[in-house]
Amino acid sequence: MKKVNFSKWMMWVTALYLILPLVLTFLYSFSSEWINVLPTGFTFKYYMQILPRQDFYMSLARTLLICVLTIVLAGILMLLAMYVVTVYHPKFDKYLQILCMIPYALQGIIIAISILTLYSGAKGLFGSRIIMLVGTYCIIILPYMYQGIRNALRAVSARELIEAAQILGCTRFYAFFRIIVPNILSGIIISSMLSMGIIFGDFVVVNVIAGSSYQTASMFLYKTMAQSGQATSVVIVVMFIITLILSTIAFKLRNKTH
Amino acid sequence: MAYITFENINKTFDTNHVLKDIQLEVEQGELVTLLGPSGCGKSTLLRCLAGLETVDSGIISLNSEDITHRPTSDREIGMVFQQYSLFPNMTVEQNIGFGLKMKKLPKEIIKEKTQNIIKLVHLEGKEKHVPSQLSGGQQQRVALARAIVTEPKVLLLDEPLSAIDAQLRRVLQIEIRKIQRQLNMTTIFVTHDQDEAMIMSDRIHLFNAGKIEQSGIPVELYTHPKTKFVASFIGQYNIIKASDLSELIEESFTKETIAIRPEVIQIATKEMPQNNETLQIQGKIIDLISRGNILRYHIEVSRNIILKVDTLFRTHSLFDLEQRVWLNIEKRNIIALD
Repeated sequence: MKKVNFSKWMMWVTALYLILPLVLTFLYSFSSEWINVLPTGFTFKYYMQILPRQDFYMSLARTLLICVLTIVLAGILMLLAMYVVTVYHPKFDKYLQILCMIPYALQGIIIAISILTLYSGAKGLFGSRIIMLVGTYCIIILPYMYQGIRNALRAVSARELIEAAQILGCTRFYAFFRIIVPNILSGIIISSMLSMGIIFGDFVVVNVIAGSSYQTASMFLYKTMAQSGQATSVVIVVMFIITLILSTIAFKLRNKTH
Repeated sequence: MAYITFENINKTFDTNHVLKDIQLEVEQGELVTLLGPSGCGKSTLLRCLAGLETVDSGIISLNSEDITHRPTSDREIGMVFQQYSLFPNMTVEQNIGFGLKMKKLPKEIIKEKTQNIIKLVHLEGKEKHVPSQLSGGQQQRVALARAIVTEPKVLLLDEPLSAIDAQLRRVLQIEIRKIQRQLNMTTIFVTHDQDEAMIMSDRIHLFNAGKIEQSGIPVELYTHPKTKFVASFIGQYNIIKASDLSELIEESFTKETIAIRPEVIQIATKEMPQNNETLQIQGKIIDLISRGNILRYHIEVSRNIILKVDTLFRTHSLFDLEQRVWLNIEKRNIIALD
């Protein structure tokens, strides 16, 4: 009985430890002044400062756009790569794993500066800061997309399913994308959510590559920090609510696939 | 010409020569079993016929057509895998109808054929279930239904019952055989279980290290093994050096090794009447094992020979441990091995 209580107690302590910063940030966004232990009063003033601003919503939209473009592109590329490795060259899986794990070892700023150095003088598509940003984020989220998809493929015995589908008269390509992919949607969704969290919260890469020409939510947050702590908290609370909504949608989708 | 022929089939994986000049024929409507231990090449040959593996050399023919290099999807073959490989995101109906959908048949025809095959394999009421909601035996039936609904020319079964418990396996063995006979479907069955091979097959090809060791009808393989490998794999033969037995009974043999089935040895407490057609040896019971309806005695007849003798179990053992007994063997049941 004592052991069960201890586990529950630890769980509540851990939950409190994780939730407390969010709760305090939320309270701070409503506080008029907070220097001592408790705030002096509460106000909606800082919400009225931030919420009507169009540039705030534009920055959120830009962030979401970058997230979607990156995740879709990285997802398609990863699925195609995994198709080739799973169906034709299983022995190459270890090399693909090594390539996909390399970004873990590199700081985002190193990747960003390298890409900027390589492509900054380029004309046309490759000179576009948005394309560079999407490409950089694709590299950064590669380990997460690879690991999530690979684990999901292993769980469904992809090769055996493809062989069964081939015997029944379909091509390997059809089998992979119409039978395997629906069965690994759960893994794809989880990888996508993880990747979205990384992109949403990133400041270094977007600041180096896009600078002020493409203001995302994290850059808006950085600018707001110069104004006031309460306004910064408002931005954080709104960003948190958006990621919460997106995560909830993703988890509902994931549960539906099960 | 046979319905399926394998001519000089060779297959190597890296340095492992898995199939060595295989020559094999299957007649239409037959159920043929490829039997052998793990790694002997039987599944590889099946996969070559299905087109899931390429052959290094040789020709595979089906109904007089060379299909050696034909794509898998064009071979009109049905296959049931060891792990069934049912599509997890599809219902029983959708799994079974998948092959028909790939053939672009009208929806009404797909529905009708699917319903008929569901009745044949006794899965009524399970149409809307997904594989995770089914038992092992039900999944196996879905896999079988999915393989035969497209009316393939050949049905391949790659150890489909190995993941199922013994009791259910016996039921499914009979069901598969019944369906195969009903549809007169040419079938190749792969297993490492010699009892299963005996129950199900018209003919058995016993594989050993990439080669066919012996082929024949089940009774023939069981009663007339040609080599030591066959004798040790099929049944529970006593395999003895001919020279050791010659020392005991003044009898010589043409080959170095001989084999005797445990159930052909008669056991008695006293000497039995002899004639020119029988041999008698004395021995001591050193072990007694109950195997359901069979009692197996291990009898030491000399320093080098311990014979296994099987008797039908009645209510109790007729003989005790350490008891000296007489063994009577008909000479025609002593098989000389290559």
